[in-house]
Amino acid sequence: MAKAVFIVYNQANTEKVFYMLDELGIRGYTFWEQVQGRGSQNGEPRHGSHTWPEMNSALITMVSDDKVDELLRTIHKLDKRQEELGVRAFVWHVENYV
Amino acid sequence: MAIYKTAITKPITTALIFVAVIILGLFSLKQLPIDQFPEIEPPYISVMTAYPGANATEVETNVSKVLENSLNSVDGLKEITSTSKDNMSVILMEFEWGSNLDEATNDIRSYIDMVYDNLPDECTRPFIFKFSSSMMPVLQIAVTADESYPGLEKILNDNVVNDLNRIDGIGNISLSGAPQRYIYIDLDPKKLESYGVSLEQVGNAVKGNNLNLASGSVKMGKEQYQMRVQGEYVESSEINDIVVKSLGTKIVKVKDLAVVRDTIKDIALEEKMNGKDGVRLIIMKQTGANTVQIATDVKENLERIKKTLPADVKMDMIYDSSTDIINAINGLSESIFYALLFVVLVVLFFLGRWRATIIIALTIPISLVAAFIYLFVVDSSLNIISLCSLTVAIGMVVDDAIVVLENISKHVDRGENPREAAIYGTNEVWVSVIATTLVIVVVFMPLTMLTGQAVILFKQLGWIVTICVVTSTTVAISLTPMLASKLLKGHEVSIDKDGKLVESSQRMGWYDKFVIPLLNKLDAWYANVLRTCLRHKLLTILVIVGIFVLSLIPVFSGAIGSNFISDQDNSMMNITIELQRGTRVEETSAIARNIENKIREITPEALVISTALGSDDDAGMASLFNATNNNKMVTRVRTVTKDQRDRSIFEIAEAIRKELDKMPEIITYNVSTAMGNMGSNTVDVEIYGYDFKTTNRIAEDFINIIKDIPGARDITNSREQDRTELQIIFDKEKLAMSGLTESAVSMYVRNRVNGMAAGYFKEDGEEYDIIVRLKEEFRNNLNEIENIDLMTPTGQNIKLREVAQVKEYWCPPEIQRKRRERIVTLSVTPVGTSLGELAQEIQKKIDAYDVPSGVIVQIGGTYQDQQETFQDMVLLLALIVMLVYIVMASQFESFAKPFIIMMSVPFAFSGVILALFITGTNFDMIAALGAILLVGIVVKNGIVLVDYINLMRDRGYELGEAIALSGQSRLRPVLMTAFTTLLGMVPMALSTSAGSELWIPMGVAVIGGIIASTIITLIIVPILYSLMARHGERDKNAEVQKSFIFMRMNDTLDEDRRIDAEQNNNRLN
Repeated sequence: MAKAVFIVYNQANTEKVFYMLDELGIRGYTFWEQVQGRGSQNGEPRHGSHTWPEMNSALITMVSDDKVDELLRTIHKLDKRQEELGVRAFVWHVENYV
Repeated sequence: MAIYKTAITKPITTALIFVAVIILGLFSLKQLPIDQFPEIEPPYISVMTAYPGANATEVETNVSKVLENSLNSVDGLKEITSTSKDNMSVILMEFEWGSNLDEATNDIRSYIDMVYDNLPDECTRPFIFKFSSSMMPVLQIAVTADESYPGLEKILNDNVVNDLNRIDGIGNISLSGAPQRYIYIDLDPKKLESYGVSLEQVGNAVKGNNLNLASGSVKMGKEQYQMRVQGEYVESSEINDIVVKSLGTKIVKVKDLAVVRDTIKDIALEEKMNGKDGVRLIIMKQTGANTVQIATDVKENLERIKKTLPADVKMDMIYDSSTDIINAINGLSESIFYALLFVVLVVLFFLGRWRATIIIALTIPISLVAAFIYLFVVDSSLNIISLCSLTVAIGMVVDDAIVVLENISKHVDRGENPREAAIYGTNEVWVSVIATTLVIVVVFMPLTMLTGQAVILFKQLGWIVTICVVTSTTVAISLTPMLASKLLKGHEVSIDKDGKLVESSQRMGWYDKFVIPLLNKLDAWYANVLRTCLRHKLLTILVIVGIFVLSLIPVFSGAIGSNFISDQDNSMMNITIELQRGTRVEETSAIARNIENKIREITPEALVISTALGSDDDAGMASLFNATNNNKMVTRVRTVTKDQRDRSIFEIAEAIRKELDKMPEIITYNVSTAMGNMGSNTVDVEIYGYDFKTTNRIAEDFINIIKDIPGARDITNSREQDRTELQIIFDKEKLAMSGLTESAVSMYVRNRVNGMAAGYFKEDGEEYDIIVRLKEEFRNNLNEIENIDLMTPTGQNIKLREVAQVKEYWCPPEIQRKRRERIVTLSVTPVGTSLGELAQEIQKKIDAYDVPSGVIVQIGGTYQDQQETFQDMVLLLALIVMLVYIVMASQFESFAKPFIIMMSVPFAFSGVILALFITGTNFDMIAALGAILLVGIVVKNGIVLVDYINLMRDRGYELGEAIALSGQSRLRPVLMTAFTTLLGMVPMALSTSAGSELWIPMGVAVIGGIIASTIITLIIVPILYSLMARHGERDKNAEVQKSFIFMRMNDTLDEDRRIDAEQNNNRLN
């Protein structure tokens, strides 16, 4: 009945991601401001180092099943808007919660 | 929160902070005095002791030596020299530049106290005298008059001096050569003899009849009256009728014995302006006062005062230190303005966007203004050095802002909104921006720690560049991102009817059409060149080393001279001419007129020629500072300004020297074109030795040897020739028989020759001396002097020759000592050659000369200062190199990488050498300043490039490819830095304003150096990198894999699981 959506994106997308969540009526989230990472296919590493100075942010939000599809489609639009920055989302099944 | 984030989230605070900085800076700028050089106390203190009656040798042994030995232990003392002459010892102590002279003065006082008891009893207490910049005249004005000349002193004192004294910051105003009114009573000794009157009787009669005295009060009836004797002369002609003696019914009046002349004093100190009688008005300022302001005020006031003066009084400016300053400052301000303009144009050319250019250009005024605040806080001034430093800084302050803005633009181009782009774009580069600034700081900070004379030049440069660069970095990581977030525009995008994203087409301006393709082509071309060079590393290196070695040839062949500071053409020269010792002042004056006419003939450029000669005999201590005496004259020539004549002041000086060479009556002369506080460039040959004869002979030899060296001019010998003196030698027995004493006779002789002071003649509140003496024809030869009448106590008249003889004697010269040994100094001025070359030539001659034992001959003077400063510079360079190495090594985290950049630095100097060689400019301290600046630029560009190559390799590019790509990507920033600095220096190098000789060497050196250093950065650094780097050394994965060999172990998972399961089964069972 609920899914966890893990969104990871270039820092520079932060404002757009929050705007998107608000637009879609998603209230709850957990946010990591600075995370490092590297894309699976292509995409530069984000290490915040001298060599790779950029950084990613990550966010996990629990949404009801019916919202997942809309969320993923919107995230894909965001990714299309600025492919160099990049934004990815991964969905888990939520077993239970209190 | 990081500074840039705060700045972006609080734009108003940020903007206002910088507005405050600008306001403070402009306020400081308004308050800053304008001066030629930074004010620095000349580190000289002299100790003067009078020892009346002693001759030079006695003064030397009993006073100078004793004091020298004691004062030698004063802390911070660099050199001690002394001059011992008749009656006077002067010890000059030179300290290290920048040392605390107040402390030194206290030390000197206590050391003097320690030896005071050992000095002869007749000595006065030694007098400590400190030089200060307020003793340099700000203005010298020639005042000439025709019929008003005799009253000129009073006119000037009443109208001009008093008025000018009210100007704020004005120091001493003095009149030189002012005619003084004197009343002479010239006696005829024959008449005195026939009337039986002595000179003293005449004097006393004149004095005694010139009185105003109160004689008590008288009460009459109801009134009370004061009674006075009112006998003072109202007219000087009254003196004629004073009765000296009555013989029965006959009375003898002054006019029967003498001629009374109400006139101006016999020539002592004579001043002539353009051949006319005149007075020199010398105006000084208080220490720290604004020279330019005072000069302007004085000139304004003079305009006003002129109208109130008699019509024949004319004023001509001889020397105005403010014009030099104003010209120099204007010249440099113009250079700064052009530099600013060029920098903006270069940025605009490379970035092609107005908004970005404005953001970057804003860095410049803020950084410059910060320098003004610094200057204000440390009580300095706007001067040549501070403005040169600002010009240097302009090219550097934009670099950081460019890096930050470029990165923000890159983010914006990817479609981010400007605010986020500003935050994240700055975040990515701010650490490396600070790191490169650190390099500049370690290059320039050590300059502030220099000691010695170079302090004046380099301290301010060090501070100003450091402050400008640090400010620019602060601006680059706060104001620049803030402005970028507000001013840059994101790409406009819209959604078309198909729901697709379309970027609204960017306007293609001419910039995108023409400049961008051009720049892209340039990038590609350079990448190709770099690849070719990388394929032929050895050849390229050989070619460049070849050029380097070739460029060193001018240095070793001596084609590039070296100076301390280049001489400036200030349209002024001082000609000091010495005639035969003992020439009477009237004769000197006649020769002076002759010389003036010759100078006028050969220099049509001359505006004012003024000559001073003779000396004020009454002046006492002040006569020590007089440059002139009866056989020595100083002629000042001021010409029209530099742009109004074809010949430089140096050429004119050379022409005058040729003319003076032809005049046999001149013993020595010196034509000096140096002005201001930096002094002239001379090579001094110092001859140490006790024996006068030996050292005199050696000095003569060297004068003859040096004369033949091309370019050696104005050779002056510090030891003056022996001079003749007349001495009265008493026959003691005859003297005793006549009842006279030596002191009585010397008084009689003095009264008759020099004159007896017989009170004052008062008029309009001023007092004029009345002098009684013999007519000139009765005291102008040996015979007449021996015939002087003396009055014995018994009232008899006897002649001087009856008790004494008058003889001519040779009197020893003044004795100069340095480092507590006797010394003769020969000063030589280089003309058409440099100080360094001349010094080397002279050194060769010294080496070839057979110097007798007990005598040391060596080179000193400005050349020595220059050598010392160059040594300091080498030490400084070593310090800078070490610090730069430390910063770079920690930045690259590598011991080897910094060497790539370090090794490229010497190549930059070949550019400097070639530029100096081609333009025929001499290497001096200002050029050295440019060279240090180059080190900064080469290192900075080198770091940018090496850092980027490292980055590319870390990102996985193969070595050669990484180098080529980095070169291509860094070409524009490197070219931008080069062009901004280069174009900033062009106006400096081409400047022709007065005083520009000073900074032209710097412009030339930097331009040459920049061209070379750009090539170095773009070609040599990549090649050295590829030579020093190994393929794959930066492949960290390979490194890590070596230490983690677990991946190659056998897969034992299934086996281990089986064992685990078995063990579990066993336990259960």
